[in-house]
Amino acid sequence: MLYSRPQIRLLLVLATMLLAGLGIREWRAGFPDAALRLERFDRAEPSAPLLPVDTTGGESGRTSHRGVNGALARPETRPVSAAPIVADPRPLDLNRATVAELARLPGVGPGLAQRILEERGRRGRFDSPEALRQVVGLGPKKLAALRDLVTVGE
Amino acid sequence: MRLASAPLLPLGTTFAAGILGAAWLGPRPLLLVELTGGLLVLATVALGCGHDRPALFLLLGGLVALGALRGSAPLLPHDHISRLTLPPVVSVEGRLLDEPVRWATDRTRLLLEVDAYQDGPDRRPARGRAQLTIYGETEPLGEGQRIRAEVRLHHPVGFRNPNVFDYPAHLRRDGILLVGSGRGDRVTPFTADAPPWPIRVRRWAVATIRAQLPESSAALLAGLLLGERTALPGETDEAFRRAGVYHVLAVSGFNVALVASSVFAALSLFGVPRRTTALVAAAVLVGFALVVGGQPSVLRATVMGLLLLLSVLLERDSQLMNALCLAGLALLVWSPTDLWDPGFQLSFAATAGIIYLAGPFTGFLKERGWPHWLAAAVAVSLAAQLPVTPIMLAHFNQLSLIGVAANLLVVPLAGPATTLGMLALLTQLASETAASLLFNTLWLLLIALRVVVWAAAAIPGAMVHLPAPSWAPVTAWCGALLLIPYLATRVWTRAAASGLLAVAMALSVWPWVSPGDGRLRITFLDVGQGDATLVELPEGPRILVDGGPGGARRFDVGERVLSPFLWNRPVGRLDVVALSHSDSDHAGGLGAVLRHFHVGEFWESGRWGPGGEDALLALPQSGAARRVLGAGQRLWLGNALITVVNPDGQPSVSPNDDSLVLRLDWRGVSVLLTGDLGWRGEARVLERGEPVRVLTLRVGHHGSRFSSTTPFLESARPPFAIISVGARNPFRHPTPEALARLEAAGARIYRTDRDGAIVIETDGMRLWITRWARGTTEVFDLDPERSSEAGDTSPRNVRRVDLG
Repeated sequence: MLYSRPQIRLLLVLATMLLAGLGIREWRAGFPDAALRLERFDRAEPSAPLLPVDTTGGESGRTSHRGVNGALARPETRPVSAAPIVADPRPLDLNRATVAELARLPGVGPGLAQRILEERGRRGRFDSPEALRQVVGLGPKKLAALRDLVTVGE
Repeated sequence: MRLASAPLLPLGTTFAAGILGAAWLGPRPLLLVELTGGLLVLATVALGCGHDRPALFLLLGGLVALGALRGSAPLLPHDHISRLTLPPVVSVEGRLLDEPVRWATDRTRLLLEVDAYQDGPDRRPARGRAQLTIYGETEPLGEGQRIRAEVRLHHPVGFRNPNVFDYPAHLRRDGILLVGSGRGDRVTPFTADAPPWPIRVRRWAVATIRAQLPESSAALLAGLLLGERTALPGETDEAFRRAGVYHVLAVSGFNVALVASSVFAALSLFGVPRRTTALVAAAVLVGFALVVGGQPSVLRATVMGLLLLLSVLLERDSQLMNALCLAGLALLVWSPTDLWDPGFQLSFAATAGIIYLAGPFTGFLKERGWPHWLAAAVAVSLAAQLPVTPIMLAHFNQLSLIGVAANLLVVPLAGPATTLGMLALLTQLASETAASLLFNTLWLLLIALRVVVWAAAAIPGAMVHLPAPSWAPVTAWCGALLLIPYLATRVWTRAAASGLLAVAMALSVWPWVSPGDGRLRITFLDVGQGDATLVELPEGPRILVDGGPGGARRFDVGERVLSPFLWNRPVGRLDVVALSHSDSDHAGGLGAVLRHFHVGEFWESGRWGPGGEDALLALPQSGAARRVLGAGQRLWLGNALITVVNPDGQPSVSPNDDSLVLRLDWRGVSVLLTGDLGWRGEARVLERGEPVRVLTLRVGHHGSRFSSTTPFLESARPPFAIISVGARNPFRHPTPEALARLEAAGARIYRTDRDGAIVIETDGMRLWITRWARGTTEVFDLDPERSSEAGDTSPRNVRRVDLG
């Protein structure tokens, strides 16, 4: 025998691979588009320049963002996610608010919130948000920042 | 496995432990010399007195000290370039230590071993390495070539944020103390040097592969054969990472074993004597290692391969663990800093895992009736994966959940592809036509490989991102792995292993479930020239405002800085991502953030321009609800009130003036995030009477002189001003004008270019401000209740307390 068994096996594998290569080469030459698609199957398509989504809800151009209460509810592109985000908060009723609620107001810490409650206890109720001026530590500027966020209820 | 069969194991581990210790110890060479000498003398004395065992322990102690000595940073010679006073633009000469890396279309990275520089008319000798970034086209360059380059040199800066990769330290370990930048036409090669033959072979191989195969397949084959991944498309690269089979793209034991066994098999087939075969295989192996380059994984595999061939030559049994330890010892003595290299760690951990664990695993699976071939394949894959897991997490925050399974399919494809690739390259030398046929067969094989990897990567949850573990869970994990071979034989090992595993898991889970400290935390991240701010509310919600520079074909801060920072925090979900405006230094990094994290809502100003393309592309897939905000809107998030200060809906001349400006109030603390708002925008904000009086101002437009106008600052009166700006930025931000106006307004200025990330923490009563790069924290007493006016934040009421 001229060749041993393993040698014949090796030659057979080589010949098969050459033959397969010949077939694949012919196929690639015959169907270049399909070959190219196969070659680039995992590449992202070069996309057309994207335009931002018009989130203003069909109104042309940009609209004024300011509404009656300094804010305007806007249509969303999707329902708001589960994030605990509350937009356009309702004013806080000073006569029902708890310390925790008061302490969420800008510029109001737990100490000031406590003093607001003490003032309410002393007066019985606030007649208007301006009455907050009587609380130690609440000046006109801080009150101006709070003015839109608070109200007085019955 | 018994310790006696790997006598080099204690030597290797103690030496490595010494190198690790050197990092803690700092530069104390003299102490270490004395310690080493003392321990070795004691060991000699002990041995002389006949106390063998104490002598051994003293010797091992001496080896630890020796490792620390080798691992501590070397003293720099007086003519080292980092010690010289160089002109701002300097002409340096030297030899290229590496092939140039083209990492973006117009940027090439060179590693230069400097030997001289031009000081006025004189040419002076110098030493040291510098990494140069060259912009624009250069003449063709190659490793080993001598060049002259006109560059600006400076110390590397990196991004100095909590728990993020320390780039300067990484460069320092490679002996690079200076980096520089210059233009391509200012790089002059001295033509005399032709590259050495291994590099010519490598280039020829890469060129042949590119000529014979279409783009993506050629890039993949270059990675498989030579570890050359620069041309690999991003999608393919990402898919291999996600599938947990990235190791086939790095040259490692896999390739070395294939080369050696192919040569061995081919020569044996034609009746060449065994010893000659081993010698030829060894020669081919050394040649292969030279061609693919000297990464630690290649050197490790080559040393081990040569030892195996030597055992064939000497007709002795080989001990794999011993060979691994010898390879490790040789590499670490030669280059101790390799110990920190992810490639070194991965290569040694995977190999040690296979040697130590594959046997027990195979036995375990076969006992359960698995066929031998499947049991062995799964065992090897698992044995490599387990010890590698903490390393992957520590360096890349990646945990591949399907790696073990994917490897079962990928390795049987990658093996034949690699062998056939080498055969095709050899055939190319003889006949191009025959080679072309082989390359066509190979093409189909490579497509199959890519399809498998792509499908594996497409499985949801194929890869998860987790925070880098600290040393404690890693130690527990390693302890559990060490016990595995004894699980079947000794009873107590099961309890101990499960205990260690539980400890490792509990420690890893702790950061996610630990209760917060009740503080509001605002981190102004160091992202170079750009902006990124993370607000963490004590109730849990998190807001990221802007994502720093990034995008395709440049350094993506979102991918490389923001994402690791958030993963390590650990953060899995961002309730809000807000974008001030779409310039690339604000929006560029957001694409990666939107891809990697669950985002609840995306807040925008509604105006988009160039720079935001990547973020816009990522938005639809992220599932984030988009919300366009305008001045006057208010949103509650937890206990924080967010007020939108800008834009007002009237289109501005400059897009900067339409920046989304957000004000956040939490208890008595407020912060104003101004984006790139310019003077026109500031004037209109004041006109509308927006609430701008604030405790902390994120200064507009990186401290440009066209922002932060005096009227605006007089209204804002911020006691604290944060400027997010890159060192040496071409816009010369922050400008002296803006800084002077901020100082006149009484603001205490913090800058990310000097201070690194700036972290502001508050519980409502006190304020902690940390400059991350300097490691200092200042404490301020807010005491908002005592003052009668909103001016509670004026500097005189701020009491500064330094905590050392």
